Amino acid sequence: MAIFLLSMLFAGLTIILYLVLNSLYVKYRWTVLTPVLTTTVALIAILLVFDIPYDRYMLGGQWIGSLLGPAVVALAVPLYKQRDLLLQSLLPIVIGVSGGTVVGMFSGMLLARAFHFSEEVVLTILPKSITTPVAMQLAEGFGGIPSLAAVFVMVAGFTGILAGPWLLKVLRIDSPIGRGIGLGSSAHGLGTSKAFEYGPDEASMSSVAMTLSAVIGSFLGPAIVWLFF
Amino acid sequence: MKFLVIFIQFLVLYGFYLAGEWMSEFLNLPLPGSVIGFLLLFAALALKIYPLRWIESGAQFLLMFLSLYFIPATVGVMNYGDVFTGKGIWLIAIGVFSTLLTMAVSGYLSQRTVQSPREREVE
Repeated sequence: MAIFLLSMLFAGLTIILYLVLNSLYVKYRWTVLTPVLTTTVALIAILLVFDIPYDRYMLGGQWIGSLLGPAVVALAVPLYKQRDLLLQSLLPIVIGVSGGTVVGMFSGMLLARAFHFSEEVVLTILPKSITTPVAMQLAEGFGGIPSLAAVFVMVAGFTGILAGPWLLKVLRIDSPIGRGIGLGSSAHGLGTSKAFEYGPDEASMSSVAMTLSAVIGSFLGPAIVWLFF
Repeated sequence: MKFLVIFIQFLVLYGFYLAGEWMSEFLNLPLPGSVIGFLLLFAALALKIYPLRWIESGAQFLLMFLSLYFIPATVGVMNYGDVFTGKGIWLIAIGVFSTLLTMAVSGYLSQRTVQSPREREVE
């Protein structure tokens, strides 16, 4: 019973913090106020102050995390509504996502190698731009560290939502397809949540990019490992 | 009533997710259940097996808070503080740089191929 109440408390706290901090973001629209960032920082601070281990927080946290699976399924709905755009842009989507996935995997791997990190870490950073469950599975298959892979996926996600809009602007990537494919290929679901702020076309493109990069990465990743390790 | 509709549609989405998980496990696919469920639902909608209006409001409601569902996972970063101290700080820099490169390449390539499909085909 005590455990159930504690779980309720952590889940409730996460939702309330998110809603409050989200309204703050909606009001000011500053990138640093992005609710997933502010809520994460606030929760980590609370857990550290009260000396609560992450595993205990996850008793309730996992309830919220378990909504991610059905939410990814739900992305099929906005995509279906934009199916005409999807069909028209099939070739640019495939070219953009494949190019991004190849560059993402190689650049992470080569840079981590150049800095002389252990092979285990190099293999772990490889799938960082791919959605968390796939990235963890891939890292495990390569001989990397799955939980650390999830951390790199978060680094990629936060980079995408915090620096992405700036980068897209600087590079004059201003079409719905360019923005959507850029965000989804590099920053998976978090990038897709950002793409929803741009509009339905960007959101659909980003969810396609996220899915396609998971498919491409599942084949490309093992091929790279087989070739280079 | 509206709430009930959303709840039932959420259960349908969860059903697609579980079907995806099941396929992932039993067919030994490299993709996770959520991605397979996404493909299954898209196929069901595209083939008119399942009508859009039976899922639309539930999906919209769930997607309103998409970034919320990542938070329990992002909080997990707290267990890896030591990985990123000292030399490890370069791992973050590499992750950030490589992510930006990925975004630049994928965004630029897709935008360019849309703008001038004929020109690209000739090349």
